[in-house]
Amino acid sequence: MVHPANYSLSIGVENTQSMGKKMQKITVIIHTRDSQATLPRLLDSISWADECIVVDMESTNRTCEIALQYGVTLLSTSIVLRVDGIRNNFIERAQHEWIFILDSDEYLSADAGQVVRSLLEEYGRNRDIFSIPRYNMIAGQIMRGSGWYPDHQIRLFRKGCVRWSDSTHKLPELLATPERIQRLEPPGCLHIHHDNYDSITQFIERQLKYSLNDRYPDQGFSFERYVAMAYEEFGFRLDEKNDGELSFALATVMAWDRVMRGLIHWEKLGRKDTLSHAFSLPVTTISRYPDCIFPSDVEELRRRIQEFESVPGLKMLKKLVNSLRKKNSRIVGLMKKMRKYLFK
Amino acid sequence: MNTLCAIIVSRGLDEMLRFCLKSFFESADQLYESVEVIIADNASPRPYTESSLSERRIRVLRFDVQTRFAVACNRCVKECETKKLIFLNNDVFLDRSSLNKMLQNSCRAGIGVVGSWLYFPDGRVQHRGVVFGHGDIGPYHLNRGQFLDPRSPFEEYQAVTGACLMVNRSLFNQLGGFNESYQFGLEDIDFCLRVRQHGYRVLCANAGRPMHFESFTPGRVELDGPSRQLFLEHWRGKYTIDG
Repeated sequence: MVHPANYSLSIGVENTQSMGKKMQKITVIIHTRDSQATLPRLLDSISWADECIVVDMESTNRTCEIALQYGVTLLSTSIVLRVDGIRNNFIERAQHEWIFILDSDEYLSADAGQVVRSLLEEYGRNRDIFSIPRYNMIAGQIMRGSGWYPDHQIRLFRKGCVRWSDSTHKLPELLATPERIQRLEPPGCLHIHHDNYDSITQFIERQLKYSLNDRYPDQGFSFERYVAMAYEEFGFRLDEKNDGELSFALATVMAWDRVMRGLIHWEKLGRKDTLSHAFSLPVTTISRYPDCIFPSDVEELRRRIQEFESVPGLKMLKKLVNSLRKKNSRIVGLMKKMRKYLFK
Repeated sequence: MNTLCAIIVSRGLDEMLRFCLKSFFESADQLYESVEVIIADNASPRPYTESSLSERRIRVLRFDVQTRFAVACNRCVKECETKKLIFLNNDVFLDRSSLNKMLQNSCRAGIGVVGSWLYFPDGRVQHRGVVFGHGDIGPYHLNRGQFLDPRSPFEEYQAVTGACLMVNRSLFNQLGGFNESYQFGLEDIDFCLRVRQHGYRVLCANAGRPMHFESFTPGRVELDGPSRQLFLEHWRGKYTIDG
């Protein structure tokens, strides 16, 4: 007979033993640059990892000191404009088979260690890559609208199954067949939590930095295509039902980002192509819910007048007064006399 | 260092949680002791953020996958260092005097767990203590749904509800926390019975008129069945029939 107090204990021991037999080990790789504000939260959330490598890009604040306090392997590299490309170099340094890549402004939940282990236990044999949804927090709000959520990311994979290209925040090349990719579907699954931007200003600043530093192809420039992408982006990101006004603000920034990219690309190619002037101001402020969000004053007034006129009682009263006037001249005379008496 | 830590396991119902926290802090303002709150965000579709709760005394512990109540609570207790713990549901709104009265009872010698009278929004009793019936009846809430007023400042029971339960952290850790085998429900009754096995008493205090909506979170009620089965398997014949 087991004492009630010991149930959890005994079950817990069995679990770890059964996991221990086929436990798959994980290396977490983090890229940092002046990340002292966000790094402790991230390192706290991955304390369960078997190995943690922090790759620092010439930080000038306490980033490295914090990393060393947590006892991680600290590597350093020189500053590069596009982060993705250098990820490939450091995956080789990992000791373990499974790699979990995180950015310094991301973190995992309190139950992540257990969830990741059970994922690897369940799918580890048949899958090489996990596609994990991500919550993005922008200007203090967790985005749930289309275009921002679920925002699947390829971050947990078997060593050698993923290769990044030389860009910033693009999806990597997957060296595995589609059936070996496990896509986690919310709700109730592992998420990456991303504390993106404190404000819209910071968001604009960062987007512009990405577009200025990105690589642009030497051929096939078309400004019209960039403008079309702007419209597409706007439609994709706008979801006021889920995210309110902020959704509109961010959709506008993202659309303008595409136009800016068009202009940057144009200049990088030596301003040889023509820019179609018809497309110079592409993003119109059309909302999906024009009545609720942009009540034009004139429209509103017109509608109210129509409503007022359509009230049945008012018309009937007018008719009644008129008919009384015609029928009964004595009443009219009486009313005139009263008026004179009253207003003298 | 803070004296009392509230642990609230919650999924969704942001506005409900906000009112719960408001009433908790209002009640805490009546104390000399300082308080803190740990919220276990049990896989809310839109995660709680510390900034949206706008209170520095709150910490949020996020669980991405829906976790058992007992597991979430035990994990939260590991995070805090206060002397006293109070477990609250997100649909419990405390009265201004609640914490004070519960703490008074909790500080007396030999007392392990202190619960509280809880009322439905219409004034009927939701909880005044848990009693045990014959056979498969098992534990149930005494006088649930009746209009009734307390006649004494506290009463002793074999168990009280975990919707509002105060305990010393040292005792909680000594007993190994809530039993994590339970899906959802009855881990609180199990805990109270173990507290009594260790020689401590379980009280239900008349602590103002705190409100409890009961089982507001969607999908919560379906988990009761397996828990009840497990509970009766372990405890049948080991409690006093008093209901």
